[in-house]
Amino acid sequence: MVIKFRKVSLGFLFLKTMALFVFWVLLSASFEWVHLVLGVICSLAVAWLNSGHSPFVPKLRVWLRFLFYLPWLFYKIFQSSFHLTKLILHPALPIDPKLFSVKSKLNHHAAVVLFGNSITLTPGTITAEVDRNNLIIHALDKALSEDIESKEMESKIAYIFKDETPDL
Amino acid sequence: MKIFLLYILVILAILLAVYLYRVLRGPTIFDRVLGLNGISTKAIILLIVIGVYFDRVDMFIDISTGYALLNLVGALAVAKYLEQKGAP
Amino acid sequence: MIMLSIIFIVAGLFFLIVAAVGVIRLPDVFSRSHAVSLTDSLGASLMLVGLALHEGLSINTLKILVVLALLYILNPVIAHATIRAALRAGVKPWEKETP
Repeated sequence: MVIKFRKVSLGFLFLKTMALFVFWVLLSASFEWVHLVLGVICSLAVAWLNSGHSPFVPKLRVWLRFLFYLPWLFYKIFQSSFHLTKLILHPALPIDPKLFSVKSKLNHHAAVVLFGNSITLTPGTITAEVDRNNLIIHALDKALSEDIESKEMESKIAYIFKDETPDL
Repeated sequence: MKIFLLYILVILAILLAVYLYRVLRGPTIFDRVLGLNGISTKAIILLIVIGVYFDRVDMFIDISTGYALLNLVGALAVAKYLEQKGAP
Repeated sequence: MIMLSIIFIVAGLFFLIVAAVGVIRLPDVFSRSHAVSLTDSLGASLMLVGLALHEGLSINTLKILVVLALLYILNPVIAHATIRAALRAGVKPWEKETP
């Protein structure tokens, strides 16, 4: 039996361990050294077990741009929530559901993940299928589907990931 | 404030009953899965409101965190299973 | 502070009620998922922010915000998985009849 070790990027391992450890400290809320050491060991083990999925480590400037993207996303969520509330409470239920596909120009897998998650988080549109950078989207209304097709969200996400090496 | 939180609890329980109607009635099995997902979100909020009502947020918040994580695992498992098997 | 938290909680409750009405009224699984996502994103977040304001500044507030972040990350994943399974299993989306 041959044991093969996967290649693990150290930055990825460190980031994931830190995130899991912060979560551990929040849940246990005790600062005795036994608990802290046990937490480090457990989060390191979980991070190492999960290290085969995505080797992508975001740089600091990607995080900063992502932080500036979040308020716009919340504004968008508010806007489409009020639109959806009007649609649901309208007595005649004037919905016009539609399944359409979008070919995006994003060329990084993390960018496609962020794009799909943002679409699903916005009420009224939902990502049904992802294949490389073609997305099939279900929208409840014409205004909502035109909002996706206007490419405003996509250009913002492309700006976040503009200097990553493309891998799609 | 206590009376207000009690009313909130009652309204949340009624909303849970609405989602339960969708789970029991739902034409396809995916409606039922969706209804269970809605119930779990409502249950997370319900647990935190109970914690604020009894002044024991530190205890109930951990339960709701665990509920959220377990709900993810359960819903993903059901979705994967139905995707491979097809709708019955 | 108490007034502000009551305003947030009532606004969140309004969106939860709208979403429940949508779950009953809308015609098929694809449209109902939009109503459930309305619950997840806006209703739950407004209610949790209201409860965090009521708690004041402590470790519990931080934990409530962690639950909020978990909801924001996990719920799109669940909704996407369910809808993808429905689409692959061959559920036909409801469409408006054109006369």
